[in-house]
Amino acid sequence: MFELFTSMVREEWRVHSTMFGSLSFALFPFLIFGIAFMGSFLIPLVAKTLPVGNLSIIVHANYLMLGLMVGGFGMLGNEVMNRRFGQASLLAYSARSLPLSERNIFANFVVKDTVYYFFLWVFPFAFGYILASPFIHVPLASALFLLLTLTLSFLFGLCGVFFLSTVYAWSKPIFWLFLLLLGIGFGGIMATGMNPALLFPPLLLHDEFSWTNLLLSCIVLACLFIVSLRLFNPESVGSEKKYKDSFTPLLQRLSALPNSPLAAKDMIDLYRSGSMIGQTIFSFIVPLVVIWFFLSLLGRFFPPHALLFLYAVTTGVIASTMYTWVTMFDNFGPYACLPVAVSTLITSKLATFTILQIIPAVFIAVVAGLSGEAAYLIPAVVLGIAVSFYAVSIMAWLCGLSPDVLVYDVKVLFVYLILVGIVITVFSAVSFLNPYYALGAVILAVPAWIFVQKAKVRWDAVDPAGF
Amino acid sequence: MTRVIEACDLSKAYGDVQAVDHVTLAVKEGALFGLLGPNGSGKTTMIRMLTGQTRPTGGEASVLGIDVVKDPVGVRKRVGIIPEQETPPSFLTAIEYLKFVAAVRKIPDIGKKADWWFDFLDFADKKDVLCKDLSRGTRQKLMFTQAFIHEPALALIDEPLINFDPIMQDLVKDYLADYVKKGRTIFISTHILEVAEEICSEFAILHKGKLLHAGPIAELKERGEHLPAFFLSLVRKDHHV
Ligand SMILES: Nc1ncnc2c1ncn2[C@@H]1O[C@H](COP(=O)(O)OP(=O)(O)OP(=O)(O)O)[C@@H](O)[C@H]1O
Ligand SMILES: [Mg+2]
Repeated sequence: MFELFTSMVREEWRVHSTMFGSLSFALFPFLIFGIAFMGSFLIPLVAKTLPVGNLSIIVHANYLMLGLMVGGFGMLGNEVMNRRFGQASLLAYSARSLPLSERNIFANFVVKDTVYYFFLWVFPFAFGYILASPFIHVPLASALFLLLTLTLSFLFGLCGVFFLSTVYAWSKPIFWLFLLLLGIGFGGIMATGMNPALLFPPLLLHDEFSWTNLLLSCIVLACLFIVSLRLFNPESVGSEKKYKDSFTPLLQRLSALPNSPLAAKDMIDLYRSGSMIGQTIFSFIVPLVVIWFFLSLLGRFFPPHALLFLYAVTTGVIASTMYTWVTMFDNFGPYACLPVAVSTLITSKLATFTILQIIPAVFIAVVAGLSGEAAYLIPAVVLGIAVSFYAVSIMAWLCGLSPDVLVYDVKVLFVYLILVGIVITVFSAVSFLNPYYALGAVILAVPAWIFVQKAKVRWDAVDPAGF
Repeated sequence: MTRVIEACDLSKAYGDVQAVDHVTLAVKEGALFGLLGPNGSGKTTMIRMLTGQTRPTGGEASVLGIDVVKDPVGVRKRVGIIPEQETPPSFLTAIEYLKFVAAVRKIPDIGKKADWWFDFLDFADKKDVLCKDLSRGTRQKLMFTQAFIHEPALALIDEPLINFDPIMQDLVKDYLADYVKKGRTIFISTHILEVAEEICSEFAILHKGKLLHAGPIAELKERGEHLPAFFLSLVRKDHHV
């Protein structure tokens, strides 16, 4: 059992390190560490405009988000075992020939992912803060404490989504019922004017330590985790199902797109694998609802329209990760025997991506309406979508068809953070000044176009990733 | 006769491993060419280079007159390929996959052709089943169909008979032998030496990336030799050097 776990970790390491060298990958936690360490020195400065309490809200929210992003295991179920990392991920798959139950293998997989992400993201960040704490006169105990609450935040996100996604895969009606109950609970708490942080124990714990709270948090986590594992159904449901041809009609409908056959195939893949709805819920809507929740905690420190634009920018960045939805479950293998170049494939993935951008556009519009800022609906949508296209063009340039793997290359992540960071800072600031300035974000189409052209040249020149 | 495949000093190194080592080879139009060799001798790598799926680290090659490095997509446009690992995209049905291939290859109206293939390889009942739910053999049938549906002047097949039942093997063997009679060319890699002897007009033997032998089968037959024995003695001899 433990053997399987260590082999899985080793495999995960190899997948990443063979793609861009062990060093680049090994440095990843150091980059996170460095960012946290340096960032800590900014705290005294930032604290002048933003209370430290809010800073901690932001950091916790980020780790909750990370957990949310990582935790959609239940959604993926069997498919994840076969298809994540394409044919390279043979271990989870071949382990089935060993005398181990599927549930056992799956449990190993989940724990492996959790531990892996913990050491890549959570630990280095907290460690950076811990090392910086003497210099910024923060007691060591409270820095260590941050490690605990950040870990809890991460695990909350992870287990929460693990649970929700398993319920989703298990029974749709129960999932919606559950979501409804959550919504009512949430609304109730907001309406009664109770502290909304009640919904998020790690933050409560961070504000004020108590053993009961800690114990409670752990129990909740353990329950979510165990129930999810129990509910997980390892057998792929249904037998040999027949489908009628959806390709031909879809091809006709998409005929305006470049490489419409490839886009049609992507849409069918997304739809039939359940990724379309599942990913939209778990990689898009859930994180954004959570961000909304946290931004509303910060509401007092921003002019009212600023929150909307901040939200639009965040939505844009998250929407750009939809590119990984269309690349993650595909590998170059099936195309290798067809007259399709990598650049063609990138173009078609971006075409599918473009169709998916309807989701963030509608989402931002709805949020603008709900938050009473409908007047700024158009600039907000333009800003969000422009940021999304800009960010995705950089992702395509840096990562080609493997964004989910190459993001762990330090050089890649660093360049990405700089290029995207500058742009979102500038455009957030500009839109704070005057909401209509946000319309200027259309200018991002120019760098986006350039990066896409560069991406095509760059990725045609190398052999398709070693799958 | 024109040469459909020309490789000159073609090499591929993966780090320290010399998968293909300075291979010079020519395949004539109308040939059924068999590439033979033990496991890991570089057959798949050779086919992948000739179809522009991977870049050679040395030498050059042209297929149907097109340079495989300069225009890999151009090569793939003209030829049919069955790769070693058959993985048709999994959430399309068999017929959808063929329509997808046809759309990418810009072949109009493949309905009738597809039906012919479903009948010929006897898998019409699996037409509407998702590729991921197909058996390996059925998936190979599908890959076979996609390689030939545009009637390419040249088809390159990595192990054509693998996963097929004996009846299918017979059918496919005949199909290949017929195919080249119409002046088209087929390049296969295989471990089944008896089959190679039966259907191939030419063959080559690779060992540890090096070309040990290339020539017509007829030459062997004239000498009264059989391919399996010839192969074994050649490879074993090379192994001891
Ligand atoms: N992507 C790769 N990375 C590293 N080494 C590789 C890769 N592909 C092949 N090799 C190595 O190149 C050599 C030739 O492999 P190849 O797959 O061409 O052999 P083969 O003749 O097709 O074998 P088989 O009969 O088993 O299919 C082997 O030593 C293999 O380990
Ligand atoms: Mg091979």
